[in-house]
Amino acid sequence: MSAQPGTIAPPMVVEQRTRRDARQELFFRWLLKGCALLVLASLLGAAGATLWGGREAFAKFGWHFLVSTAWDPGNDVYGALVPVYGTIVTSLIALLIAVPVSFGIALYLSEVAPAWLRTPVSSAIELLAGIPSIIYGMWGLFVFAPFFSAHIKPWLTNNLGNKPDDGKLSWVAQHVPFIGKLFGSDYPFGASILVAGIVLAIMIVPFISSVMREVFQTVPTRLKESAYALGSSTWEVSWDIVLPYTRSAVIGGIFLGLGRALGETMAVAFIIGNSMTFSASLLDPGTSIASTIANQFSEASGLQKSSLMALAFLLFVVTFIVLLIARLMLRQLKRKEGN
Amino acid sequence: MTDPAVANHLAQTMAAPLASTKMTVRDLHFYYNGFHALKGINMEVPEKKVTAIIGPSGCGKSTLLRIFNRIYAIYPKLEAKGEIVLDGENILDPGYSMNRLRSKVGMVFQKPVPFPMTIFENVAYGIRHHEKLSKPDMDGRVEQALRSAALWDEVKDKLKQNALGLSGGQQQRLCIARAIALRPEVLLLDEPTSALDPIATSRIEQLVEELKNEFTIVIVTHNMQQAARCSDLTAFMYMGELIEFDRTEKIFTKPGKKQTEDYITGRFG
Repeated sequence: MSAQPGTIAPPMVVEQRTRRDARQELFFRWLLKGCALLVLASLLGAAGATLWGGREAFAKFGWHFLVSTAWDPGNDVYGALVPVYGTIVTSLIALLIAVPVSFGIALYLSEVAPAWLRTPVSSAIELLAGIPSIIYGMWGLFVFAPFFSAHIKPWLTNNLGNKPDDGKLSWVAQHVPFIGKLFGSDYPFGASILVAGIVLAIMIVPFISSVMREVFQTVPTRLKESAYALGSSTWEVSWDIVLPYTRSAVIGGIFLGLGRALGETMAVAFIIGNSMTFSASLLDPGTSIASTIANQFSEASGLQKSSLMALAFLLFVVTFIVLLIARLMLRQLKRKEGN
Repeated sequence: MTDPAVANHLAQTMAAPLASTKMTVRDLHFYYNGFHALKGINMEVPEKKVTAIIGPSGCGKSTLLRIFNRIYAIYPKLEAKGEIVLDGENILDPGYSMNRLRSKVGMVFQKPVPFPMTIFENVAYGIRHHEKLSKPDMDGRVEQALRSAALWDEVKDKLKQNALGLSGGQQQRLCIARAIALRPEVLLLDEPTSALDPIATSRIEQLVEELKNEFTIVIVTHNMQQAARCSDLTAFMYMGELIEFDRTEKIFTKPGKKQTEDYITGRFG
């Protein structure tokens, strides 16, 4: 059947080969499609399962579930506001701290640091990303929270909060709206929303900064040199050229970190205080969706279990909304640039 | 060359006085990581003329250009010794303000590299570093720069669009507009056409011809025809040394050094 060397294969062989190629091509395409669909299926499956599990809670409380601060297993009344507030606020605090710090780390490593220092520091950051979250939780509970409560919290409550130890309201608390509420607390311990946010920030810095560092290195040298040649300083080159050039990837990195912060369970459960009582104050204990579920799931049944499932579904929704906002932001920025 | 008329013409052009000197390079040495890349360069760059620097790859021609605006200084372990006197002041003096230098000496690079911004912003960006202008003044400056770079008619209706949508040649003219928007006195062009097609290249060469009425231009090129076409003076460099520096006609018709002749006749490089 095989063609002699130097002769052209007979038409039948060519045709067979063509048909076999077409079959393989089709199979390969379906295989790839299957892999992609698997992601979609698991996403929809997880969202659907939590929605289904939470149907009792949603049916019983309706929209009230979203805005209620009640969480009373004794009377079987549940609301999601406390854990949702805790989740969003801790993640926001984490981003507020982690984004500028990561930007600084990444810029230092890609633009300023001497070559011999870049590799060791980058590896150290990657190692930091590999530390299990429970270790951060332990460090937060045993080391950071006591330190915070002894040295930082008194200053915050006295200078910014509306419940100072000495009873005298500071200027900030009197004149700036909301600040007093955010920093007012008479809770004696460190574990709080702010501490959880700070520890989360430390946890997500490695993710965000390593993504930023990688993409900053993709900026063409000539582009940076052109900006320097116009008289830009290192800061201007970073802010005006490097950041816009890498923006989508940078925002991607930030949302990778945010995703981790939103869903982080163990570390937060250690340090957020696990209080189901609503308080707007960042210095009071609170709870997050993930830590509430982790704390209560083993003993929950009936409506409480269903409410926990509903909380899990809300975590999906929150994450989804956050991603949506990121997309819209990106589109807005692109429009400004003339794309 | 034996034609007496031609010889006569060349002799005449060579006798014409040169413009005053804009920039004087004195005993310039350059080292990177200990490597001696430039070995005692001396040259005088005349005002409002085009000075071309030619030579084989690695001869140090780009290195020399990159010292003229001290762009090399953004990297560690690079060191220039000697003097470059621009309008009576040594720009290699650590006390010479980098900002002032970059506003006096503009640079255009090999590959067109527009910033990730609109066309308007690309030009306005540099101006903002040095001057505070009102909106109408800025509009005027941007238009003027784009006109000088022969780009205005092509982009006037899409100033708010991203500069990356322009063709390679347009992008390079945008980079020239960006550089001249600062109203520099010296314009450095580092192989500005090496990434462009022949038509875009000839537009840039035309532009260089027009720009020399306003600016002192130093152009590094690996294309000898380009040097012959658009420069008044040509410097030939080899292995980090300035072999010969003279009027372009002379370099290309009767070079004074054997090495120059070998290079321009294509015997090496």
